[in-house]
Amino acid sequence: MGAVWMLIEPICHLLIFSVLFALLRARSVSGVEYPVFVLVGMAPFLLYRNTALRLMDSLRENRSLFGYKQIKPLDTYVARVIVETCIAATVYAILVFGFAWYGFDMTVHRPLEWVANLLLGLLFSFSLGMLLALITHALPSLKTIIRMAFFPLYFISGVLIPASYLPQAMMPLLLLNPFLHILELIRAQVLPNYTPVDGVSETYVISFTVVLLFLSLGTYRARRMHLISTKNG
Amino acid sequence: MFELRNVTKSYLTPKGRRYVFRNLSLAIPPGKNIGLIGRNGAGKSTLMRLLGGADVPDSGTIATDRSISWPVGLTGGFQGSMTGRDNIKFVCRVYGATGEAMREKVRYVQEFAEIGDWIDEPIKTYSSGMRSRVAFGLSMAFDFDYYLIDEVMSVGDAQFKRKCADVFKEKLQTSNVVLVSHSMPEIKKLCDVVLLVRDGGIQVYDDVAEGIKAYNS
Repeated sequence: MGAVWMLIEPICHLLIFSVLFALLRARSVSGVEYPVFVLVGMAPFLLYRNTALRLMDSLRENRSLFGYKQIKPLDTYVARVIVETCIAATVYAILVFGFAWYGFDMTVHRPLEWVANLLLGLLFSFSLGMLLALITHALPSLKTIIRMAFFPLYFISGVLIPASYLPQAMMPLLLLNPFLHILELIRAQVLPNYTPVDGVSETYVISFTVVLLFLSLGTYRARRMHLISTKNG
Repeated sequence: MFELRNVTKSYLTPKGRRYVFRNLSLAIPPGKNIGLIGRNGAGKSTLMRLLGGADVPDSGTIATDRSISWPVGLTGGFQGSMTGRDNIKFVCRVYGATGEAMREKVRYVQEFAEIGDWIDEPIKTYSSGMRSRVAFGLSMAFDFDYYLIDEVMSVGDAQFKRKCADVFKEKLQTSNVVLVSHSMPEIKKLCDVVLLVRDGGIQVYDDVAEGIKAYNS
């Protein structure tokens, strides 16, 4: 059942929003069918969200394994990212085949850059997830708030609509969110006629990731003793 | 042998820091079977985790030149949602047993713990007796200089205890044990040195009977 749910979740998101959009406005965005447009951005976003959120639980889930001195908390984080990536890749592959079979054009416009960008996004969410995991280990009550914060992120990251549909006045603020950059870049790499909004830059994502990774690894280094001995979270 | 130098260990609780040991220094002579006794919550299991390297002291060092098993406890170092077989394979891989060696160990544990088909069920569906049988059997499948055994033997039924005693007799020819137990006859039977953990300190008794007397008083 758990395995089926992995497939059902993105499909549900996709169906609901495709139907909504089809009713509300045109069926295509930037010259591609709306479901294709959403899938291309939503699949990676769901992976990133799961990665960032599930790392908060990985310590608690694997606590009994720390009895083996070879196993460190960082290992459980990395293992979680690998698991989530495998699941997401499988789901995505199934959906892409399904879409292609139905008749949508699923070719990737610039595949190498696309893969590199997906990996960059994964590294970013790994750093973010690790930092969140370390913070919620110290303050377990923040977990609920962080989970809730990911819900609006769904809308302001341009998962369902192109970033150009977001309010222009708010753009400088919205562009602080690296997820928006990542999703816009991914779409531009998959869809041949997609133009990302002004201000989207690869450099911003890379520097954000590097700083965040440095911060989370540094915090991990400082807190690594507590992670095993304190039974929080 | 084990040598503890100025070991301080504390845990952070919501009410503040609690010290288990403060500036503890002691040496445990080599080639002895060690019994850890003390009241509940005195720090026996913490000491065992420190000796096994599963936990680290806040300050100070713990030196040893021997290979030490993971602490074999009631909770068992298992991932509950994975099957018994997967857990055994996981530990085998962590300790570098792959291929035929791994299949051999899986067979050994399955037979020792007498779990039969249950080996392919998730660990969380096991009874506590089954779980501790697997945990104990798994540690016996590997060769260590010291085995850290935390109360596992005291929960089994009579037959399992006999089996443990048999395999232990064989292992103790070449290895030693660090045993946490509340069962004094067991301590008396297996241990050569007793460490009494009390009030954040540790007293070493070379005479087991004397240590037990101090514990009971």
